[in-house]
Amino acid sequence: MTDAPPTFSESWYRVAQQRVALRSAVQVHRQNFRGERWYVLQNPFTNQFFRLRPAAYEFVIRLNPNRTVEEVWKECIERAPDDAPGQEAVLQLLSQLYHANLLQYSGAADAAQLFKRYEKTRKRELRGRLLNVMFMRIPLLDPDRFLVRTLPFVGKFISAVGAVLWFIVVGLALKVVADNFPALRSEAQGILAPSNLILLYVSLVFLKTFHEFGHAYFCRKFGGEVHVMGVLFMIFTPTPYVDATSSWGFRERWKRVMVGLAGVIVELFVAALATFVWAKTGPGTVHAIAYNMMFIASVSAIVFNLNPLLRFDGYYILSDLLGIPNLSQQANRQLRYWAEKHLYGLKKEQNPSSNPREAAWLGFFGIASGVYRVFVFAGVLLLVADSFLLIGILMAAVCAVAWVVVPIWKLTNYLASSPRLHRHRVRAVSVTSALAGIVVLFLQFVPFPYHFRAPGIVWSRQWTEVHSETAGRALRLLSPPGSTVTLGQPLLELTSPELELEWQAARARRDEVETRIRQALQEAVPNLEPLHRFLESANKSLAMLEDQRSNLVVRATQAGIWVNPHATELPGRWIARGANLGAIIDPSGFQFLAVVGPEDVDRLFGRELGPAEMRLLGQAGRVLNVTGSRVIPAERRDLPSAALGWLAGGPVRTASDDSQGTRAAEPFFEVRGNVENADDATLLHGRAGRVRFDLPSQPLLPRWMRSLRQLLQRRYQL
Amino acid sequence: MITPTDEYRRLGYRRPEPLPRGLDAGVNGMIGRYRRRSGVLRELRREADQVDAMSAEYKDLTNPQLQERLLAFRERFRRGGKDLEAVRPAALAAIREAAHRQTGLRPFPVQLMGALALHRGWLAEMATGEGKTLTASLAAILWGWTRHPCHVVTVNDYLVQRDSKWFGPLYQFCGIRAGHVTADMKPDERRRGYDCDVTYTTSKEVVADFLRDCLHLAALRHPTRLLIRRLLRPGGTTAAAGVVMRGLHSAIVDEADSVLIDEAVTPLIISSMEKNDSLREAVQTAADITDGLNLDADYQIDLRYREVELTETGRAKLAERCSVLPGLWRGPLRRFELIKQALVAREFFHLGKQYILQDGRVVIVDEFTGRQMPNRTWRAGLHQAIEAKERLNISDPTDTLARLSFQRYFRQYFRLAGMTGTAREAAGEFWHIYGLPVVRIPPNRPCIRVQHPDRIFPDQTSKWEAVAAEVQQLHKAGRPVLVGTRSVEVSERLAEVIAAKGLDCHVLNAVRHDTEAVIVACAGEAGRITIATNMAGRGTDIKLGHGVAASGGLAVIATERHESGRVDRQLFGRAARQGDPGSAQAFVSMEDELLRRYLPKRVYPWVARLPVSQEGRAGPTVRAAFALAQRNAQSAAFKMRQSVLRMDDWLDDSLSFAGSEMG
Repeated sequence: MTDAPPTFSESWYRVAQQRVALRSAVQVHRQNFRGERWYVLQNPFTNQFFRLRPAAYEFVIRLNPNRTVEEVWKECIERAPDDAPGQEAVLQLLSQLYHANLLQYSGAADAAQLFKRYEKTRKRELRGRLLNVMFMRIPLLDPDRFLVRTLPFVGKFISAVGAVLWFIVVGLALKVVADNFPALRSEAQGILAPSNLILLYVSLVFLKTFHEFGHAYFCRKFGGEVHVMGVLFMIFTPTPYVDATSSWGFRERWKRVMVGLAGVIVELFVAALATFVWAKTGPGTVHAIAYNMMFIASVSAIVFNLNPLLRFDGYYILSDLLGIPNLSQQANRQLRYWAEKHLYGLKKEQNPSSNPREAAWLGFFGIASGVYRVFVFAGVLLLVADSFLLIGILMAAVCAVAWVVVPIWKLTNYLASSPRLHRHRVRAVSVTSALAGIVVLFLQFVPFPYHFRAPGIVWSRQWTEVHSETAGRALRLLSPPGSTVTLGQPLLELTSPELELEWQAARARRDEVETRIRQALQEAVPNLEPLHRFLESANKSLAMLEDQRSNLVVRATQAGIWVNPHATELPGRWIARGANLGAIIDPSGFQFLAVVGPEDVDRLFGRELGPAEMRLLGQAGRVLNVTGSRVIPAERRDLPSAALGWLAGGPVRTASDDSQGTRAAEPFFEVRGNVENADDATLLHGRAGRVRFDLPSQPLLPRWMRSLRQLLQRRYQL
Repeated sequence: MITPTDEYRRLGYRRPEPLPRGLDAGVNGMIGRYRRRSGVLRELRREADQVDAMSAEYKDLTNPQLQERLLAFRERFRRGGKDLEAVRPAALAAIREAAHRQTGLRPFPVQLMGALALHRGWLAEMATGEGKTLTASLAAILWGWTRHPCHVVTVNDYLVQRDSKWFGPLYQFCGIRAGHVTADMKPDERRRGYDCDVTYTTSKEVVADFLRDCLHLAALRHPTRLLIRRLLRPGGTTAAAGVVMRGLHSAIVDEADSVLIDEAVTPLIISSMEKNDSLREAVQTAADITDGLNLDADYQIDLRYREVELTETGRAKLAERCSVLPGLWRGPLRRFELIKQALVAREFFHLGKQYILQDGRVVIVDEFTGRQMPNRTWRAGLHQAIEAKERLNISDPTDTLARLSFQRYFRQYFRLAGMTGTAREAAGEFWHIYGLPVVRIPPNRPCIRVQHPDRIFPDQTSKWEAVAAEVQQLHKAGRPVLVGTRSVEVSERLAEVIAAKGLDCHVLNAVRHDTEAVIVACAGEAGRITIATNMAGRGTDIKLGHGVAASGGLAVIATERHESGRVDRQLFGRAARQGDPGSAQAFVSMEDELLRRYLPKRVYPWVARLPVSQEGRAGPTVRAAFALAQRNAQSAAFKMRQSVLRMDDWLDDSLSFAGSEMG
């Protein structure tokens, strides 16, 4: 159990005789949060809010310039002895109210102190703005009068009729989207093209203006005032925003949620209208703008606006749905409470959540939002840095300050001088440094299984291509393609009438020469000599033609499987001499040829590569073992197969000027390994897949450092 | 006719900056370390030598001539300017001559160094008996010449009267009006006292007068505000008319460590009694209820932080018994608070240690000094709980009207300087809180005190026996012995032990407060045995009796190491003053509260098992443990004081709608 603040305070005399009251303009709203009653005080001038428990509210509401604080306190204590705040609690309460500018007091305040406070607040705001440079807000104008004047018309749509209309329009738009989905998808490729950026931005501002007016009108409709409209520099991109925080005072939760949702509601409606335009127009500016609006409405709504892990609409909606105001602060407080309780041994801290479920929510939210934020910003950072290196570096510096330096600084300060820790400081410091040390040591020294993946293709170890030695028309297949053949087995029969004729002519010529020899023996012996030579030549050409004739039957050049995807189409076709007729592959041994980029290859060099695992594309479930891998120590640029290149949809970037799609944009290294035969996997020569090399386990930190360095080197030549 | 400027000055005080935090504090600490580097002393010595050399010039002047020169210096100082430092040695030389003629004391060079240090706004560490009073008056004259009020703050009314009378002629000779303020004075007399250039007073009086002025001025405390009011309503009598002080311009604090550190956070309160029957009744009932609770079974205590935690069985027990409490206290929250308070009163506040009973009233005894603090009460509820525990009539809680700690008060002086015998242990704190760099002025004659190493005993019994035996032995040698004890209770017990050995001893503690000065004054007589609580009779010299110096001088025995090393050194410093012989030794035991309270909980049992011989010898580990415990205690106390100050700053900020505490 935690100690309540003491009933008596030594400083009580400072306020006992004061006459204070809530400022007359302060509005009080009763709200329920997670089944508990709270009172929310709102200062309409500054839109500051302050939440009170009923007991404190009972005290505050009794404050009156005609009575002293002491009198009011005594009355409360008499009414509810145990619940009423003690003197210490009253002091805290009054000081908080004072700081929230909710308190009216008679005496002249300590002006120097007020000024100091003002300076401090200003400094804090400035620092907050600098640290939050990715979401900087600049207030510009007060839209309230405009809203009030236009509300009678616009407000009609914020109703059941409006809702029905919205569902109809958005539903129809969804149907249009479904009908045109392929076109939609193909257009997405060009969304970030430089030529589209300006249109994209125009659409963004247009859409976000509607979005913000959505918040404003909903808020106004439910009775909240909207006094600030301005520019939000979201990652240096100016977009409009309105301040609809007065909705926090609404008693009904659904109204608060609706105001939060209003932006997306309006945005989706506009995007739905844009969808119709997009579907009805051909390529052109209007078409592009419509498309951009659809894109922004869907992407930004999901990634940013409705995502509760970032502090946009979704966050406030979730906060209202859970009934936990200041969700993010509460979550941080919860995490700190856990750390303090379990790690630092603080036993007396008050649990910020009232039940385990709330605690679980808070804890989950705290961790998830932290992690998510880092990922989103890291992504945004890389994206921006790719286009604008200088801004990227600036942003990275700001982010590093905001997320690394500031938290470490805060933690150090907290450990060094937080009064909360004052009895546990030694333990807190040692536990924290021990944890930090363990994490660092763990990352630096504990090896983790380490592997990396590379694309590649399956290649038969023993294979020969089958060519026709003779030109001819394919007559018929002698062996079915895909079947196992033995050496010399006929595969295909060709016919060639020309060859036949030539052969017959050659034979006739030989017969003629022989006849003339015989004749010469009898008549002119001196002619014998040239005739013999003539015969020889005729025999030769005949033999050659005969050879060609025999080649009309294409035979297997090795034992194996004859592979020719187009074999069945062959009969009847003219086959040129030397034409490829497929290949004969030795099925007993396949090798894998992996393409490894230069940034990864150093990890493979100079070490015995252990067994690797291979998965063929389309057969991801089957794992094949690759053994005896070795790196071919020479840079190459020509891919072993076009299937690996971008042109053929493969993972390796190919040179833009290469129409063949086999020349890689960056040099690579080849790694070869033998694929062990697995009975159930159909290995095909030239099939693409990915191989996973298992490297010796390595600690994480050096690995990360190397990746970071490589990233910087590759991207920015740093 | 008071001019607006005068009026503005009358109310002037400094608005201190909030304490630096975090890295700022580190940098500030480094600056402080630089400011109190040893080279500073050489600088002072050089300037003092300069003064010494110039002294000859004034020796042959006649009184009127000297006075003329002094008045010329006064004009020079009153005009102010940047080159005052250049004039300072000459002026000081003239004052030195005047002091010689008017008081018969000729300031030694070390005293000149002290005066220079004070004038620069430093904290001069000067051993007792080195003539701090004269040193202060030299610096006070330099400051007094500027006509801005200079407060010389001493320990008690007796010293205030003595010093102002003693140095009255000197001040007059130098053209300075000197006055004093004591507790028994009426407002008019006080105002006359503060109207002087130099005012002798005690810290209590000066803070109380300041607070009363604050209450009187209320929202007009700030001089600018008052000035504006005067401009808006000319001719009207101003609130400033009833104010007795003339602003906080400069102050020289004697025994600065006791005022600025030991008593720094005990606030001075102006209060009125307030009837609160319900609280009295509740406290009484709570005391009855807690009678049935047992330590460990029903509640557990934390010695170091003086806290009580109820166990489950304790809670269960309470739940059934608390229905008899009056309305306000019946609910679970307030009920626990009340019960815990009763238990705290029972476990941590002991008769004879933290308080004594006088005429049916609880009188707080300062744990550090052993001095009684009549008219002081603990916070609402606690005081009553202790009264209930002692079965006294329960008094009404006081209703605070204004409250200010010495710490905050003295930070508001434009120029602050201090003197004390022991400052270097707290040099960091003096700098951090008050911006006072500590400088150690060497003694006029080298100190020849023999400091014996501590004797460490395994338990209390063996320690007390050894103390008694040591006293007996020293007594036989004819040396006077002063035994310092931590609490009233212990001093009485030790007196019994020594009396049992057939020795005659004099006890000086909070209970026998009235005879304090007499007993201390005689403590140096041969063969005299005096037992005193820690700082009883501070400020009075112990003069050695006839022939004592030959037998070895005063022997001081400390029977425990104090939480603060300064207090130990103060006690030891009572021996061997002004070059006299003397010795000092501490007797401590492994059962001392210092160890039990300030060693880490897990370390203490381990240390307690270390071998310690019955003769009081122990290894270096044990000695290190004592040093560690003392260091822990000191830093805990410092942190506490600092947090009190921060808390006050926070309150000022948070409640600035109610006006600052001091305007």
